[in-house]
Amino acid sequence: MRDDPTVVSLVSRAVDGDKGAWDELVERYAPLIWGIGRRYRLAPTDIDDVGQGVWLRLIEHLPSLREPAALPGWIATTAQRECFRLLRAASRVDPVDPAEQRDAVEPAVAEEEVLRFERRAIVRTAFGQLSPRCQLLLAMITKDPPAPYDEISKRLAMPVGSIGPNRARCLERLRRTPALAGLADERRR
Amino acid sequence: MTDTDWNDDGQLLEALRDTLTADQDMPRAFVDAGKAAFAWRTIDAELAALTYDSAWESLEPAPVRSAAESATLRALTFASEGWRIELELTPDGLLGQLDPPAAGEIVARTDADVLATARIDELGFFVLKPVPKVPYRLVCTPDDGPTILTGWVTP
Repeated sequence: MRDDPTVVSLVSRAVDGDKGAWDELVERYAPLIWGIGRRYRLAPTDIDDVGQGVWLRLIEHLPSLREPAALPGWIATTAQRECFRLLRAASRVDPVDPAEQRDAVEPAVAEEEVLRFERRAIVRTAFGQLSPRCQLLLAMITKDPPAPYDEISKRLAMPVGSIGPNRARCLERLRRTPALAGLADERRR
Repeated sequence: MTDTDWNDDGQLLEALRDTLTADQDMPRAFVDAGKAAFAWRTIDAELAALTYDSAWESLEPAPVRSAAESATLRALTFASEGWRIELELTPDGLLGQLDPPAAGEIVARTDADVLATARIDELGFFVLKPVPKVPYRLVCTPDDGPTILTGWVTP
């Protein structure tokens, strides 16, 4: 994941003006920016501004990007700065106490969000590798609030009594998908 | 959080719930706006964010006079680190001032098209005509200074 060769190629193609490569980079990293905006409790319209700020800076930054592996960290840190800038502008009053000034980037938060983002990317890929039936069952179970068993039973034409065993089977398949298998084994060893 | 035990059903389910919830939370429009940002790659600009919009206040009840009686339909302020752009949207044109004052060029544009262009005078004043009817951004280029790009203005 960290030395993903596709990211290297996407970056160099985007630098050459390839719009398709740029679109793929955006698809890949938009959730990271959105997650950071959420973390700072910004409203959706404010996160839109954060996104524009990060993308425009990224376009500038791409040609000088030496190590694509550092890209998620760079995006997270830049998103954080944009969030602080917005929070500062929104407060409309300059903080009296300099200690209260929230413009210092918090490396721990950026790092945590990058890890969360990478974990979600793995889980998303793994989930996409499941059968549609397993996907539907797990999506209904993880809904907030979870779908009631009789509703799941109706949608999937599955007796209520087999939902539990099917859930366990689908989770085992999720664990065995190519995306997750390596990680699950690592823990088992 | 990162130390997920993938072999534990509960933790695996929790990781899946977290992923699916996060994906649903992010609107597609956010991704689309990111893709469209590529059109601005040739503009090396400082970004100015919206800090005030009189439309925010019109959400409050009982205006003293209706918008129709007022010459200014809407007032907006954009600010970057060193610059402010004050805008007044009137029926005849988009009036604005750059602060600190500096002469230069101002352009209203979409991802694809230039909608209007005007000169900024030495006092920082400008008038853009006609008022664009579609969402646009302003690209402000002082003669001696950095290019400033505002966030989107939705008429």
